[in-house]
Amino acid sequence: MSIPTLERDTTLDTAGLPDTPWVTIVWNDPVNLQSYVSYVFRSYFGHLRPEAERLMLLVHNEGRAVVASGGREEMERHVEAMHDFGLSATLAKDDA
Amino acid sequence: MTPFEHSGAVITARLQGFEAELLGDLAGQLIVLLGERAPHARAETEPHGDSELVSAAALLAQLGIGGSESAPLDPALARLLPDAYRNDDAASTEHRRLTEMGLVERKIANANLVMATLTTDPVELTEPAAQSWLRTLTDLRLTLAARLHIEEDGDDGTGDEAMLGVYEWLGYLQGTLLDEIERMAGEREF
Repeated sequence: MSIPTLERDTTLDTAGLPDTPWVTIVWNDPVNLQSYVSYVFRSYFGHLRPEAERLMLLVHNEGRAVVASGGREEMERHVEAMHDFGLSATLAKDDA
Repeated sequence: MTPFEHSGAVITARLQGFEAELLGDLAGQLIVLLGERAPHARAETEPHGDSELVSAAALLAQLGIGGSESAPLDPALARLLPDAYRNDDAASTEHRRLTEMGLVERKIANANLVMATLTTDPVELTEPAAQSWLRTLTDLRLTLAARLHIEEDGDDGTGDEAMLGVYEWLGYLQGTLLDEIERMAGEREF
């Protein structure tokens, strides 16, 4: 039985599509305390402690973690909020 | 025993006189540093400015827009006010133009609140004040880390032992304040 391949069309330009998903990425930095990063994820995003700790450890161990996804404007607001907290954060088009 | 202890919804900070003075001084320096990115805020009080231009700039500042278009050259300011995009200068510039002024003003407001709370003895922090403390302590640590060239995990900081001592003390204050905020929130859940 043959399995259809669903390869991505690399020439497809999705920039103008309204529902193109965007992501908020928090980057590791040597300054912020792990307890503070976990606190920010709980107090701002409303995560429960296990999820906040998982994301915090991802940031710490992998250097970055996607902490939210959605529309571009929403991700811009998240990034601004992370900068308010002093976390290193950017947004990007989700190309995963 | 840590410097912070809560009772009800108020956290009391037990700081030595010289500690309160040092923290206030650092918060004041942070405000001056951030002020470099808020020319419109300064223009408001410029006695010889073009009044029409000043009022338009002041209005934009009130709306939280009208910020600079380029990232700060000072590494400390660049860390406090980072680009919102990696590898997309045009998008970063646009985001900065729309949001940087508001970010600067909120950081300055937090530092101002920290300075105001330090004038009372004992120092008592309501919940919003404690939040301003958390953010300002972070901003101060980011600033000192940039000055100490602490750029990656494991960096010990170059040179200035006294500055490194202050950096570590600020980390201790933030960590213990956060612990107390967590204890306070924990009690509320029951």
